Amino acid sequence: MSLPSDSSAYLPSHTVSEDREAQIFWRIRCRIIRSQLRKIFESARLRTTLVALLSLVFWLGLFLLFYEAFRFVKQQVGGAGAAYHAETFKLVFHLFFASLNVMLVFSSGIILYGSLFRSPETKLLLSLPVRDERIVLYKFQEAVGFSCWGFFLLASPMMLAYGLVISAPWYYYALLLPMILAFVYIPCSLGALACLLLVRKAPKIKMAIVAAAALASVLFATRAVWKTIRDPQADLFGETWFQQTLQRFQFAQQEWLPSSWLSNGLLEAGQGVTESTGGIDMPMVQSCLYLALLISNALLGHLLVVNAGKRWMRKGYSSLECSPRGRRSIQPARVDRWLRAALFAFPTPVKLLLIKDWRLLRRDPAQWSQFLIFFGLLGLYFLNMDQFSNQENNISSITWVNMVSFLNLAVVGLILSTFTTRFIFPMISLEGQRFWILGLLPVRRETILWSKFVFAALGSWIPCSLLILASDLMLQIDRLVVVVHQLTCLLLCLGLASIAVGLGAMMPDFREPSPSKIAAGFGGTLNLVLSALYILLIVPFTALPCHLYLIAGRGAIGGAILDPEQWRYWLFYGLIVAMVIAAVAVILPLTWGLRAFRQLEME
Amino acid sequence: MPPIVEFSSVGRDYGSKTAVDAIDLQLHEGELFALLGHNGAGKTTAVKMLVGLLQPGTGSIRIGGYDVVESTREAVSLLGYVPDQPYLYDKLSGYEFLEFIAEIYGFDAKVIKELIGREIDRFGLAEFVHDLCESYSHGMKQRTVFAAAMLHNPRLLVIDEPMVGLDPQSIRIVKDLLREEVDKGLCVFMSTHTLTAAEEIADRIGVMRKGQLLYVGSVDELRKSHAGEDQSLESLYLKLTNST
Repeated sequence: MSLPSDSSAYLPSHTVSEDREAQIFWRIRCRIIRSQLRKIFESARLRTTLVALLSLVFWLGLFLLFYEAFRFVKQQVGGAGAAYHAETFKLVFHLFFASLNVMLVFSSGIILYGSLFRSPETKLLLSLPVRDERIVLYKFQEAVGFSCWGFFLLASPMMLAYGLVISAPWYYYALLLPMILAFVYIPCSLGALACLLLVRKAPKIKMAIVAAAALASVLFATRAVWKTIRDPQADLFGETWFQQTLQRFQFAQQEWLPSSWLSNGLLEAGQGVTESTGGIDMPMVQSCLYLALLISNALLGHLLVVNAGKRWMRKGYSSLECSPRGRRSIQPARVDRWLRAALFAFPTPVKLLLIKDWRLLRRDPAQWSQFLIFFGLLGLYFLNMDQFSNQENNISSITWVNMVSFLNLAVVGLILSTFTTRFIFPMISLEGQRFWILGLLPVRRETILWSKFVFAALGSWIPCSLLILASDLMLQIDRLVVVVHQLTCLLLCLGLASIAVGLGAMMPDFREPSPSKIAAGFGGTLNLVLSALYILLIVPFTALPCHLYLIAGRGAIGGAILDPEQWRYWLFYGLIVAMVIAAVAVILPLTWGLRAFRQLEME
Repeated sequence: MPPIVEFSSVGRDYGSKTAVDAIDLQLHEGELFALLGHNGAGKTTAVKMLVGLLQPGTGSIRIGGYDVVESTREAVSLLGYVPDQPYLYDKLSGYEFLEFIAEIYGFDAKVIKELIGREIDRFGLAEFVHDLCESYSHGMKQRTVFAAAMLHNPRLLVIDEPMVGLDPQSIRIVKDLLREEVDKGLCVFMSTHTLTAAEEIADRIGVMRKGQLLYVGSVDELRKSHAGEDQSLESLYLKLTNST
């Protein structure tokens, strides 16, 4: 096909209007989203259904939690208009939204940085005649979307529960969405501005500044919470305690904070018409004024982001691209030598493969940092669990302690299952382009798979058993239960490692370089579901007999109904059944995985 | 005739390392220029500065009289860019991608259809243009990116490693196309390691080493200046780049 070369219609124009440019970018976004949704519904129905169901369960759980909590507070302090009602809910709302305010600033800034300055798409857009501010806005909208879905998931059940508890008028519900949307835009704009400013003005020390700001925020919040929990409190929930707590969290109620505008607006809207307003619906007017304040500041934020994008985007991108990148010189680490020594019992090929996987993990902070954060948080929670005292014959206390200890075990197992899905399941797939190296090595393929299994089982068992031990020590539980927990933990780690390695070998995806995408596929979802089922099977078989054995012979009910001798056997049988289930969970996936791995052809 | 591309004392540092050191260069319409050099010589930095991805630390670059830093949109609308790592939207089809590019350049719907049809014919995209880009091979992606770069009838085509990932037939198509378009008045700025391609189609070559342009001229001129020596471009290039 040839076109007339002299026609001006065939010459490019750089005068596309701003509105037209915006339309083009909205259309491309809609097309991409539509295409993604189509693919999700066509090829990932199981995962989508699971995610939707789990989100719904999570949302409902949160809603019930907030509903019951607000009902409790209302019973204690009275309904809307009562003396302490406004102050109590103000404290809750202000704290909640102020915390999310800070988190939104960080999350939007970090997401914008990744999508704007580290994405190949930006490279394409910068080489086209697109306005710089349009590129920033396009990516900023993405960052707002990604940052605020969590906010909606947390805030919507809370707001609805509050409305229902206080029987809020219709306009409370009508104002919810616009208020939340306008609010979210403000911290996100601040995050985006900080991101652009740092990249433009301090590209070399941007990470240090962000880390220092994050650390300062965490320390500040920790200090306030710590003081509330640890200071001597003679009268918990009494008037003095209440006033002290209000005082400590005064910083979250500053009038200049957008979170305060949102909280005040919602609290005003929730009040409804009171007699003192003489028929004029002042709460509605007040809440609309707060909405106007939020919207005007959101628009100001938008304007500032657009202008910052216009001025700093291309210069910032250029400075960042031209920042010197230091070479990372790797020296043989002492920890590798220790590992080599500790693995003396394994055959040399397994030892070498284990050390290789360990080095890859150690040098990739994206992997171990997530592990560290989740297990670190769990560890902190376990170490703070010193509220239960051991009351020898109090069945209620024993029941609680035992239940909490087994719930902790299940939680560790469930978090471990997400890690085996995210990090262990994709391990075989990630060999991808370099699979030929392993394939051509003078080692049996079984050795490769066994080494992955040992790596996963050993690597998860050590931190998990320590965490469980910490939980048990803090709860001061019976030694027998400690032993049962440790055995259950071992069974969990072996089973979860085997499921992840076996399924990973049965369903490898050598074309996909991203572990998160491999984990999010059908195989990863199946791995997660099977792992959860395995945990739900193992834990009750060890927990229930153990619990009944502990309460047998104690207290009025336990002494009358349950015979300790009889339940000693049930405890033993429960452990045997758990071990049989674990043996099946270890042997079957590994056998099938080995068979599939042997038949795998190198591409 | 005024130059379409003009580098005036252009320099760029990466911290303490000089990537491009005060280069001067002028290219004209109807000229195919191939920039040669070892890895790390500064070729890609020069290309990125030309297309507006990086800003020069010193000096200026003008395209069609527009300064790339001061009038970026005007300058960039005159060029088409084919990077070494082609980027396409995975969740768009090739057709939708081309449509997006054409809209960005401000064409109306009727013209867009005609322009895309022309590029589909020219680069043989018909078989896969309506498939999602995520299913494309490297060669298919490269051809689609070439089509996107040529879609708006640019006056300057900037290509970073054009032959990487293309099969022999596609390489032939690209070489013929470039020569044909250059004969019609297009200016091509090509950064490459493929000496044979440069020798075959380039009007002038530039050889870079450690950020400096060591040589600018035709291959024949280079041969004449090294009379009596091995006349292959490979040996002349190695002699130039390895001399102290």
